[in-house]
Amino acid sequence: MSDEPVIQIRNLTKIYRDFWGRKKVQALNSLSLEVNKGEVFGLLGPNGSGKTTTMKLLLGLLFPTEGDISILGKPASDVSKNEKIGYLPEESYLYRFLNAEETLDFYGRLFDISAEERKQRTNELIEMVGLQHARRRQLKEYSKGMTRRIGLAQALINNPDLVLLDEPTSGLDPEGSQDMKKLIENLRDQGKTVVMCSHLLADVQDVCDRIAILYGGELKELGRVEDLLKEQHETQFVTSHLDDTAVDEIKAVLDKHGASLKTCGHPTSSLEDLFMKTVQRSKDRPGQRYIPSAESKAPPAESETADSGS
Amino acid sequence: MPTVAAFGINLMSLQPVEFELLFGIGLWAVVFGSFVVLFLIVSIATSFPLYGAAGPGRVLAGMLRGFKEFVSPSPRRVYAIASLTFKESIRKKALLVFVVFAVLFMFASWFMASPSDRPDMQVRNYVAFVFIAINMLVLPVVLLLSCWGLPEDIRIRSLHTVVTKPVRRNEVVLGRMLGFASVGTMILLIMSTVGFIWIQRQVSDNVELLCRVPVYAVAGPEGVKFLDRSGNPGAGVNVGDIVETRSFIEGGTRATGIWTFPLDEQADTLKLESRFEAFRTFKGDMNRSIRVRYVLVNEEKSLKVPLPPFEVDEFGTNEMVVTRTQKWTDEQTLETKNVDIYDDLAVPSEDGQFGSLVVQVQCLDRSQYLGVSRGDFFIRLPDRSFTTGYIKAVIGVWLKVLIIVMSGVTASCFVKWPVATFLSFKVIVIGQVARGFLDKVLSGKQAGGGAAESVYRLLTHMNDTTALPENPLTSFIQLFDHGLQHLLWMVKFMIPDLRSFGMSDWVARGFDVPWGGVMLPSIAITVGYFLPCVLLGYFSLSMRELEAK
Repeated sequence: MSDEPVIQIRNLTKIYRDFWGRKKVQALNSLSLEVNKGEVFGLLGPNGSGKTTTMKLLLGLLFPTEGDISILGKPASDVSKNEKIGYLPEESYLYRFLNAEETLDFYGRLFDISAEERKQRTNELIEMVGLQHARRRQLKEYSKGMTRRIGLAQALINNPDLVLLDEPTSGLDPEGSQDMKKLIENLRDQGKTVVMCSHLLADVQDVCDRIAILYGGELKELGRVEDLLKEQHETQFVTSHLDDTAVDEIKAVLDKHGASLKTCGHPTSSLEDLFMKTVQRSKDRPGQRYIPSAESKAPPAESETADSGS
Repeated sequence: MPTVAAFGINLMSLQPVEFELLFGIGLWAVVFGSFVVLFLIVSIATSFPLYGAAGPGRVLAGMLRGFKEFVSPSPRRVYAIASLTFKESIRKKALLVFVVFAVLFMFASWFMASPSDRPDMQVRNYVAFVFIAINMLVLPVVLLLSCWGLPEDIRIRSLHTVVTKPVRRNEVVLGRMLGFASVGTMILLIMSTVGFIWIQRQVSDNVELLCRVPVYAVAGPEGVKFLDRSGNPGAGVNVGDIVETRSFIEGGTRATGIWTFPLDEQADTLKLESRFEAFRTFKGDMNRSIRVRYVLVNEEKSLKVPLPPFEVDEFGTNEMVVTRTQKWTDEQTLETKNVDIYDDLAVPSEDGQFGSLVVQVQCLDRSQYLGVSRGDFFIRLPDRSFTTGYIKAVIGVWLKVLIIVMSGVTASCFVKWPVATFLSFKVIVIGQVARGFLDKVLSGKQAGGGAAESVYRLLTHMNDTTALPENPLTSFIQLFDHGLQHLLWMVKFMIPDLRSFGMSDWVARGFDVPWGGVMLPSIAITVGYFLPCVLLGYFSLSMRELEAK
């Protein structure tokens, strides 16, 4: 990551107006921020906070009411900037009558990519997003998650320097979300800049270097994720298992230093971790099923290898 | 077979109007330039309230950037979008139109002319049917496709994934136009090929399919002139005939119609062909038709060579083969000598390579009248194949397809598909059917005045020939109509004149499609609309926020 800005936004304001020019809603109010080369930047905020509007202003799909945007050193209205940009919209707005191969080939032809390279990239990307089995199926037959994957592939067809992802994990199952996050980290490792907007905080926390929090179209927080999340007035230890005596002794030490023990117990993993472990185990040991206990009202499942799940 | 002028089949009358290409280009430049200047003025004026003093600068900078983008479209991207459009149309079942086409042709022969019909009527009916079917199937499909494509693309936001690539908006417009034009062309090619084979199979063996090549009298007042019953220059008689272009020559008097034909080719014989209308004021001898005589004339050399009189075939054509060398008798010396059509009778003229030939037409029966118009009498050159004429007629439909695609895609850049469809449909209807009415209103020849005057006449139950009373209200009405006429004048230049596009009329009547009067204006109009349409589409899409709420 360098300090070289890839995106510069200055006093960006966007007001939506009705047919008569009357103000309908102010989506952004004097937003200023910079995104540096090589970082993963997250735009956070509740629904209607201006995340997607910002993204669309960056891409020239909307025109700013006031303020300036520079993206890859060019104004947002300059179409040539798109040569090095990949964009995954919030919904995958693709041509549903095309299949995966045709889709990637079509978007590849919009760039200066030779037929041979297009074919190679199409194959790579289809494999990367895990759609080899459905490469010849029309997109109208795809599930939401599959459409999202092919949407991501089209965003990467030009090997972009800057990737804009609008709600990238929306519609994906936890495994897909995990893949998406890994991919974002890969893009960062390749020195690419990623801007993503999401209201799924865990996703953003997992992958973003810096975040901006928007509320009501205004910038409320901006900084590195660990700096913003760090609770400076508290200290946390995680140890191996301790018995009650040891815990009492620790409490005594804390009393001596004027501190109090706020929580003490066994840490839990996240639901996502649990899900991923279960899926991985299922892949490793196909046929294994969960058998409910005798008290459970659910009918017992037939299983070749009875094993209670944890 | 009905006359379906809306689809270019007008079998009543063929009147070639010569097209001046240079004048057309000049007019196009003036109209196009005027609209560009008007657009610039309006843009700058509206930029002041939006952006203040910086407005005009922003407008000009935007236009400069737009101009740079506009002149450098990428053929690769245009082709990619065109291919996508083609694929989209096919996969969205546009080709179902062939089912209707197949059904039509499977049962058409049940209701069509029988082999006992006159040969020319058979050809006319079959050709007219084929082209009415093609027009009625291809044009609506192309209209709907071109008006729905882009708005649907914007509605479901698939266009977002395109314009966020390095795709300029004019490439979207061009790609869409090219794609829909390709679909229309493919459908047209298949249908016209089937139609061609169908015509060949339907006509009787004794019917010769061919295209006559006419050389019409030169355009303008010098082309066809009239002498009245006293032999003085004047106009033909108006007998209130349905074909407004026809004038009538009074028989048995010195009334004459004078045609001046350009001579561009030399041959040993000259074939004169006419299709005159006989108008009888009394029954006369019902066993014979009205008699007519041609006279070859060179006024400068005082040469007049009357050709043998003939009886007019009232419902067919009159053909006369004239040899190059004719006998001429000097009325004063009664000396007879040979004269050559090209060397002696032809008048030096810029109209033809070998000068012009003046032919007088006289009706010989007293109190009977001969209905004539410029297109009724021509020199017939060696015939061309039916295939040539058929292909030209298909080109006429194809040019119409292109006009519809251009207007449909352009309209769909700034309005939603229902409005775009309605707009394009109106453009086609006005361009083809109401163009004459538009000309009449603008020239003041339309009885009943303008829109406001017509409303006034309706409300006051006043017929359209009575003069308006003079009062402040009628003065205001006329002033209002005068203002509307200026708007109408602008509309006239914005809507393509599609009257020449109905080339199948010529083929149905057994003629080759003339280049100068029919094909050239149709091609010029199509080419002329291309740039303004793409430009309008480009700026409409560029200035439009695709994500506007």
